[in-house]
Amino acid sequence: MAAVYKSLAKTSSKADKMDIDEDSKSSGNGVRKNKQRVLILSSRGVTHRHRHLLNDLAAMLPHGRKDVKFDSKSNLYQLNELAELYNCNNVMFFEARKGKDLYMWFSKVPNGPTIKFHAQNLHTMEELHFQGNCLKGSRPILSFDATFETEPHLQVIKEVFTHMFGVPEGTRKSKPFVDHVMGFSVADGKIWIRNYEIREVAKTKGDDGDEEEEGATSKKSKKGGLDSKETDISLIEIGPRFVLTPIIIQEGAFGGPIIYENKRFISPNHVRAELRKSKASRHVARQEQTRDNLARKRKLGLENGEAFKDKSGLDTRELFA
Amino acid sequence: MAKKGAKLAAKAPIAKSQSDGVTDKKNRRKSNDPPVEAPIAETNEDEEWEDEDSEEDSDLEEEGGGVDFSKLEDINDSDSDSEINNSDSENEDNDEEEEEESEIDVDDLNLDDMDPEEKEELAATTRVRQTINNKDALLAALKRISLVPTDIKKAALVPFAYHMTLVTSKPTQEVIPSIDDDLERELAFLNAARESALKARNLLKKEGVPFTRPTDYFAETLRSDETMEAVKQKMIEAATAKKASAEARKQRDLKKFGKQVQVQKQQERAKEKRATLEKINELKKKRKDGGSASLGAREADDMFDVAVDNELGGGNKAGGKRGRSGGDHGPPNAKRQKKNEKYGFGGKKRFGKSGDAISSGDMSGFSAKRMKNGGGAGDGKKTTFSAMSAKAKGSKPRLGKDKRKGGAGRR
Repeated sequence: MAAVYKSLAKTSSKADKMDIDEDSKSSGNGVRKNKQRVLILSSRGVTHRHRHLLNDLAAMLPHGRKDVKFDSKSNLYQLNELAELYNCNNVMFFEARKGKDLYMWFSKVPNGPTIKFHAQNLHTMEELHFQGNCLKGSRPILSFDATFETEPHLQVIKEVFTHMFGVPEGTRKSKPFVDHVMGFSVADGKIWIRNYEIREVAKTKGDDGDEEEEGATSKKSKKGGLDSKETDISLIEIGPRFVLTPIIIQEGAFGGPIIYENKRFISPNHVRAELRKSKASRHVARQEQTRDNLARKRKLGLENGEAFKDKSGLDTRELFA
Repeated sequence: MAKKGAKLAAKAPIAKSQSDGVTDKKNRRKSNDPPVEAPIAETNEDEEWEDEDSEEDSDLEEEGGGVDFSKLEDINDSDSDSEINNSDSENEDNDEEEEEESEIDVDDLNLDDMDPEEKEELAATTRVRQTINNKDALLAALKRISLVPTDIKKAALVPFAYHMTLVTSKPTQEVIPSIDDDLERELAFLNAARESALKARNLLKKEGVPFTRPTDYFAETLRSDETMEAVKQKMIEAATAKKASAEARKQRDLKKFGKQVQVQKQQERAKEKRATLEKINELKKKRKDGGSASLGAREADDMFDVAVDNELGGGNKAGGKRGRSGGDHGPPNAKRQKKNEKYGFGGKKRFGKSGDAISSGDMSGFSAKRMKNGGGAGDGKKTTFSAMSAKAKGSKPRLGKDKRKGGAGRR
């Protein structure tokens, strides 16, 4: 019975929705149905940590589709076809280089844009040992830093994050309650991503600072006839943690002109090379010294055991030869 | 390497040779057309192709596809608006573009004669990172993909539950004092997220979307029970370790304190001892000064000791006495005495009963009266016992040496 009722209700609600959609279309509201699917995959040569992070993210996204490792780092446009194959309109691609650096590509397929990030400070859920936990597939609240509204490239990044990390309403396998927040903050030119559980706790009367804050909100909720006054929100981190540095934004999906490039980004290869160079400089200095010493000795003629000789015409050997 | 790949990928769909690409770029820069146009046309093509391909998607994209050209103009309009608004910044942009052009030219001149491979290598190593920030293109891309219309009035109609996205009131960057301070930084992130969570809860409740998970709602969680168990175990371990360390510290402190107490006790004892000795010395002095000078040395000592004992309140009376005059004591008790006799107790046993000079000189048992009475010896010879009993009234028979001695000891 329940199934029949459900299906009936579904169709009716769907019809309603369609009506609404049509209304909105006619009124020019232009709100598209939020339908996102994310293809999550990595290149070959990822480390265990990269792989675990990928698994964590895949677990968090019920609208995600995890695929096998992609066997190319130069022909990334092939990913478009792959996404098409899986009916995905987003691609989250983990590109590992040299078995240590991780680059993350976030792309809207088929029309772009594509954002390339360098991922650092990766910490997976398992290794962090935080106490938080949440329902698998519940819709997260996406909390963006105010900085995201200031620059066009950050706006684009925000929008893409919304598509990727935000679970669309009514996604299959998604849970009906909201119990975690994803925080995106910009600091030091990087994007810091955190994931917290929302735990509603009985409110203590001791904290006055929050009371004032809460006062305004609870008034609002009273108007709405809801009881959020008794509970306070405390956040407990779940994990994973990672930091993304935007490198480039391309106009197309894994292609097209570069419309943003981060000048402040320094390639990890470059960083390592600098380190090596600084170490090498010591060796070079030593080498130079030995070479100088040799040259000086040769100039003095000490090299072959005979002193330097002035071969002028007034030399005794020349005169009495 | 990544750059190279990206470049290649970028060029592949356009299908142009490298040099062509460069000149094309230049042309586009020189002409006043917004750089957005070419890719957008491309995307239109894509969309059309998509329309043919899948119906479902076409439903979604149709309005986008249909409106796209008008949108394009919209974009242009908005661009022009922004240009009017930010004429200064636009000039700067132009300058930047010119710089970029010159850089590209120089690169071309230098690299013309080289192998393409070498060229790329050199480009990878010597490339100066350019400032590319094509705001118009970025905004166009944003407009193309945005879920919520950029128009504020229209955006207000979209329910919050649709996107669940919030922007905090303050940029986090300002709150963080130093990026290397982990604690402060994480706190700032947490506070930002908390602010959003509170706001989102109110918004969602207003819209009637369920927020709180009921306690009887069980479902698969993001982290498995084993993981959570491990986490709990770890926490318990940490807690116990903390407790143990606290206990150990307490014990250590107690030990330290106990030592102090011990030291104090020892000091007290030493003090007492010193005080007693002082008292003794004082008394000694007093004695020497007083009338005890006439007494003999040994006797004086004895006397003195008794006085001291009296002075100290009789604490060690018994012990003191025993140490001094053990020999003068009577036997401890009869049984002991008997045993001593039987098994021997100190001293020489042999010839103990035989007479010697002293015993023969001892005349204590002799009486002249008995000697004068006579017959005593004869009687004694007959039977010792009868003689003894007969003469018991008058006088005791003389005891042996041993007995006599014992009697003397008994006093």
